[in-house]
Amino acid sequence: MDKTYFELAYDATKLALTDANENGAEITHKDLESTVYGIYNELFERQFMPDIFTNSYIGMNDKPGTRIASGGATGGYTVRIAFSEVASGLSDLCLCIGLEKCNDCYDEQTGTTTPEVLNAIAYSADMTYEYPMGMMAASSYVSMVNAHYDEFGNPSEEQMALVSVKNHGNAMLNPKAQSPMEITVQDVLNSRIICYPFKMLDCCLYSEASAALILANEQKVKELGVENPIWITGVGAANTDCFIGNRESIGRLYSNINAAKMAYKMAGLDYNKIKEQIDVAELHDAFSGQEVISYEELGFVPFGEGGKWIEEGGPMRDGELPCCPCGGLIGCGHAVGATGIMSTGEAALQLRGDAGKHQCTIEKGRAISHSIGGPGAAYAAVIVMANEEGLKKP
Amino acid sequence: MSQKDFQDHQIRDEIKISYKYTMGGQSKFFIDLMNEKKLQGTKCKKCGKIWMPPRINCSDCYENTDWIELPQSGTIRVSTIVWYTTSDFIQNVPYGVAFIQLDDADTALLQGIFSENLVPSKVKKGQRVRAVFKRKEDREGKMTDFFFVPEDEYESWIEKPEYEGGK
Ligand SMILES: [Zn+2]
Repeated sequence: MDKTYFELAYDATKLALTDANENGAEITHKDLESTVYGIYNELFERQFMPDIFTNSYIGMNDKPGTRIASGGATGGYTVRIAFSEVASGLSDLCLCIGLEKCNDCYDEQTGTTTPEVLNAIAYSADMTYEYPMGMMAASSYVSMVNAHYDEFGNPSEEQMALVSVKNHGNAMLNPKAQSPMEITVQDVLNSRIICYPFKMLDCCLYSEASAALILANEQKVKELGVENPIWITGVGAANTDCFIGNRESIGRLYSNINAAKMAYKMAGLDYNKIKEQIDVAELHDAFSGQEVISYEELGFVPFGEGGKWIEEGGPMRDGELPCCPCGGLIGCGHAVGATGIMSTGEAALQLRGDAGKHQCTIEKGRAISHSIGGPGAAYAAVIVMANEEGLKKP
Repeated sequence: MSQKDFQDHQIRDEIKISYKYTMGGQSKFFIDLMNEKKLQGTKCKKCGKIWMPPRINCSDCYENTDWIELPQSGTIRVSTIVWYTTSDFIQNVPYGVAFIQLDDADTALLQGIFSENLVPSKVKKGQRVRAVFKRKEDREGKMTDFFFVPEDEYESWIEKPEYEGGK
């Protein structure tokens, strides 16, 4: 892409400000009191402390700015900290922005970007014991999926492929998505093997992009006269052991389970009934199998039934609980620091009824976004949102 | 500036940093691996948990640990075979990696899994494996000084001139 990371950030900030103004708030960047930056990887940006250079370019000098870096969960964690900025009263109006480059990494040997991008990610593995073994993102995540399969007989390769078909397909209706595709289960199964049993089409593509949200506290929302605001009602996050081998159960991802329970509890929702309490879930589908496991860990279906649930159409756009209606990471691309902020923003657009062609039916007025990342998906964050109607409903 | 006028200017660059970094309290693991082909874990003085990779402090109970030599056989808890990877490892594909729980250990170690017949069924959960080491002159006190093979392939791997059996 022919933009720098700070130029991407400027574009997203401008879009968020435009959206705020179209929804009743007359604000400019000068009204934003603080910024929380979600930026994962210095090597992608070719710049350490990229937040301070972004801070200059988006005109946020002389105000607080904090950078969050939590692997693939950077976006979700950034929303969590931006939420705490406004909930604590430290700021009334906070810019929550994620950004990431990556295509500037370049492997001279093969004349392509991908192996060098993967290399820049691989330094996120433990450098002493795990990096020297050739551990990378896909082989790390596939470990949980394989262990889950050993324990629960689920998800099968076909069930995983259904996620790729669904999310690439959902992306067809999202003009901002970077990877829309009409494909079949067979196409996924026939795509080249990456690491057993993940095939290329089971994996999201790394990408570069920026996403921004503007967070305000209740008083500021009223003062600005925001029409149809979306409220963050629950925030949960948990880091499980980044050494997969230290986990008692490799097939159950406790970062997901604990983050979800924490967020639902704060929002007054029930882990065991969550599927009936929300309209949309924007999940972290970096790898197709990981999405299936998340159906179980986030409480949508019992353990072992995630694969069956997608076969029955549960997470489809017109299903019981649409998952990744925007296309998710597989359909939109994974611009790491921006991803969880995009997912949260997409869920908010759904609740506002502004999601465009991929709008889902909103009845309960509640949605979640979900981010995971790091070695063995050690980081997880879950955000629960509600529209005005959703706040009132039991 | 219109899209038509825009020209993309790209610069070739590289970030390169050299290190001489300490293994700190874990040093004994690497020294004994290199010199004696030992796999040294640690055992918590309080709860008795056996850590591999080793930690000189138990993260569960904030107590010190003692070094304990572990058996060189273990069981695969989970594995994968990698067919596409990073620029540093792409010349090695396909390669197997597995979380291996050494007998007596309470945690599992990530290691390379080599096999004459590298297929998923050969490196699946429950597979018994045994450590094989590089020759003394090739060992550097690094994780790459050893790897694991399925138990029934052990004899044929240690017959290769570049490798040695363990203790
Ligand atoms: Zn202990």
